[in-house]
Amino acid sequence: MDILLLLIPLSVCLALLIVVGLWWAVNTDQFEDLDRQGEKILDRD
Amino acid sequence: MSASLSTDLPQRVQSQGGETIGLAGAINDHISHTPWESFDDQAKWKAFSQRSDDGCWVSQVKVQGMHCSACAAIVEQRLKEVPGVLSAQVDSLTARARIVWQENAVKPSRWLAAASEGGYALLPIQGGDALEIARLAKRAMLWRWLVAGFCMMQVMMYAWPNYSAGPGEIDPTSDRLLRWASLLLTLPVILFSCGPFFRAAWNDILHGRISMDLPVSLGIALTFIVSTAAVVEPKGMWGAELYFDSLTMLVFFLLTGRWLELQLKQKVVGQLEMGADLLPVSAQLLDGSQGAKTVPIHSLNAGDVIQVRTGESFAADGVIAYGQSETEESALTGEALPVAKGVGDLVYAGTTNLSSPLHVKLTKVGTDTRLGQMNHLMQASLHSKPQIVQLADRIAKPFLVTVLILAAIALLYWWPTDPHRGVLAAIAVLIVTCPCALALAAPAAFLSSASALAKEGLLVRDLTALERLERVDHMVFDKTGTLTQTTLSVLSVEVTEGYSVEQVLRWAGVLGSNSLHAVSQAVRQYVDVAGLASGEEFEVLGIQEFAGLGVQGVLSSKNGAQMAYKLGSDRFCGILPKTSAIGQRAVYLSDDHGLLATFYLSEQLRPDAAKTIAVLHDVLNQRSPSMRSHLSIMSGDSAQSVKAIADKLGWDSHDQVLSECSAKDKLAGLQALRSKGYRVAMVGDGINDSPVLAAADVSFAPVQGAALASVKADFLLTSASLAPIALARKQADDTMRIVRQNLTWALIYNLSCVPLALAGVLTPWMAGLGMALSSLLVLMNSLRLQRKGV
Repeated sequence: MDILLLLIPLSVCLALLIVVGLWWAVNTDQFEDLDRQGEKILDRD
Repeated sequence: MSASLSTDLPQRVQSQGGETIGLAGAINDHISHTPWESFDDQAKWKAFSQRSDDGCWVSQVKVQGMHCSACAAIVEQRLKEVPGVLSAQVDSLTARARIVWQENAVKPSRWLAAASEGGYALLPIQGGDALEIARLAKRAMLWRWLVAGFCMMQVMMYAWPNYSAGPGEIDPTSDRLLRWASLLLTLPVILFSCGPFFRAAWNDILHGRISMDLPVSLGIALTFIVSTAAVVEPKGMWGAELYFDSLTMLVFFLLTGRWLELQLKQKVVGQLEMGADLLPVSAQLLDGSQGAKTVPIHSLNAGDVIQVRTGESFAADGVIAYGQSETEESALTGEALPVAKGVGDLVYAGTTNLSSPLHVKLTKVGTDTRLGQMNHLMQASLHSKPQIVQLADRIAKPFLVTVLILAAIALLYWWPTDPHRGVLAAIAVLIVTCPCALALAAPAAFLSSASALAKEGLLVRDLTALERLERVDHMVFDKTGTLTQTTLSVLSVEVTEGYSVEQVLRWAGVLGSNSLHAVSQAVRQYVDVAGLASGEEFEVLGIQEFAGLGVQGVLSSKNGAQMAYKLGSDRFCGILPKTSAIGQRAVYLSDDHGLLATFYLSEQLRPDAAKTIAVLHDVLNQRSPSMRSHLSIMSGDSAQSVKAIADKLGWDSHDQVLSECSAKDKLAGLQALRSKGYRVAMVGDGINDSPVLAAADVSFAPVQGAALASVKADFLLTSASLAPIALARKQADDTMRIVRQNLTWALIYNLSCVPLALAGVLTPWMAGLGMALSSLLVLMNSLRLQRKGV
């Protein structure tokens, strides 16, 4: 089970990345007005 | 309209051949005349914007004319195209937009106009700065909760192998890695999610006081330290077990409780704070020579005349100077039926003009309007603390100190034999005894109740009154203006022989329209309805009103003849009084020669009055079945008219009827009731009868037509019907019942968990779960009060 020695630290990094992702989502108001946020990607920029 | 408009707007509102269709078109017409320059004044920005450090302002505005989220995209796009606007976000659900712009690069008028060119009206929200603050607070709360939730799940994942594997099945290196992983993923929770707890606890320590956050923070800190020791020294004293999973779960549950509390508070306080959404931002000021000019409403003064178009809401309180329309006053009275208004009628800020344009001469602006006063009242009532809440506050401090002592005892007791258990027990005690549910129990119920009553047209000035109302078993009513409507109506007219009915009515109408007394208004309305109101036939040369007696005036007709007329009581008109039927009163019109006409007026009972009385009979009887009498009328009017009203309302033989009472008599009547052991609530005139109202245990007063601030009563009735009073009495029963339920539950929970925690049986996560669930239970129980018929 040596692979665990790689996987466990890797999972920590992944989890921390997700926390960063959550931070971005809250900061850009992704959780307000869910319809609007979904359509935002279709806007002409 | 520009060519680009037709490609941008959804099909429905495209203009075709110069004719605009749909709401956007109508708004476009309206707003193309509205100059936005008034918003370039920096002094005004603070009302709807928040300034951040680098010269950027964040503004909150209402967007009108959107009907789908595609419109939201269009508005955002238009706003972002304006140079100087850094970002624009439109929420289609609440029809609000948030714009970030730089003060050096652009002025508000520029981006306000940009959106309006697209067919959408933007209106800055008064109090938008508070909205922004609330929004940031909510966002911060969300972030903390998400971090706690996510990390809780990850840390549990790392802890799982230890739960499922037998001793020695995990190799040491993997085990160490798992421990370190748990620690690393608990750090975000400690750093971000626990911030408010630690900050509050630190403040407590600095100021030498104690609050709920101190034991909780101690518990969290202790758990973290002990578990970190286990990671760093696996072979050490604490090395056997980690508690990061309990810690993160605990924090998550705590934050869930706080989140729900925030939601309830925002929901209830938002309902109580009527105001921001009801008033328009600008008004059309009529300037005599220059026609209509758009001005922001805070620049309006009493005496200004404004034009209010169809569909607009009134910017301030005033009197109609021109026009006839219907208004919708549900914001103030809770009734949605349109009210017909004509020249001379009062209109109120925040209500809506329904059918035709009106010119209104303002009498009260800003915080003097009824809306402003109601707002002020509701804010003030939030600070009143019912006795039961005060009791809870008083026991909080010794309770919390006891908690800390108990935790210390648990620690010391277990230390010699099993330090682990000691620490666990201490942590569990610290957490499970947090009196969150206890603190929420009463306030949540009172607030919920007050907001439900406000929606029905009864304002609670003092929350403690709800507490006292529960014990009331006798209600005293005043007659005139309380049980009966404040307006009188003319039943019939007797015109003296030899005079034409129309002429006489015309004279009476002119006199009546020049006075605001209820009698004059009744006469005027009668004449209006008969179609005889006219202003052009007579010139009014002089009008004098004698308070309580009558009106006299000199009228000059077209041919120059002048006559003096009097409208009023028998003594005022100088004639012998006529006998009128029970429940009616006579008002006379006379001139120098003698009596011209007699108007018979009657007082009308308020709608629903009989039903309200029936309900009250039941409720009060249930309260004290042994006492026989539950209702009284105390009125200054004659025995005949009072008895007539009592019969119409369904008074039974045990109930009291007192007539021809002076204020002293009413006071004596009240004292007599109280000495018999009754708890008395009085419903009466809040201005003239205020000493009597003050002598009762609970007081109600109708406020139609009166300045709210001068009405001294516990409950203010803004609705025209008496039904909210019966509702309030029932609601008081329900509220106290729910408060008791909440407190009982909170106490049982706290007390039963302490022994378990002391014994070391309760793990930290169970304690946290219990806390969150009990807070949730209290909140949900309180929300039951918002539904009718709990």
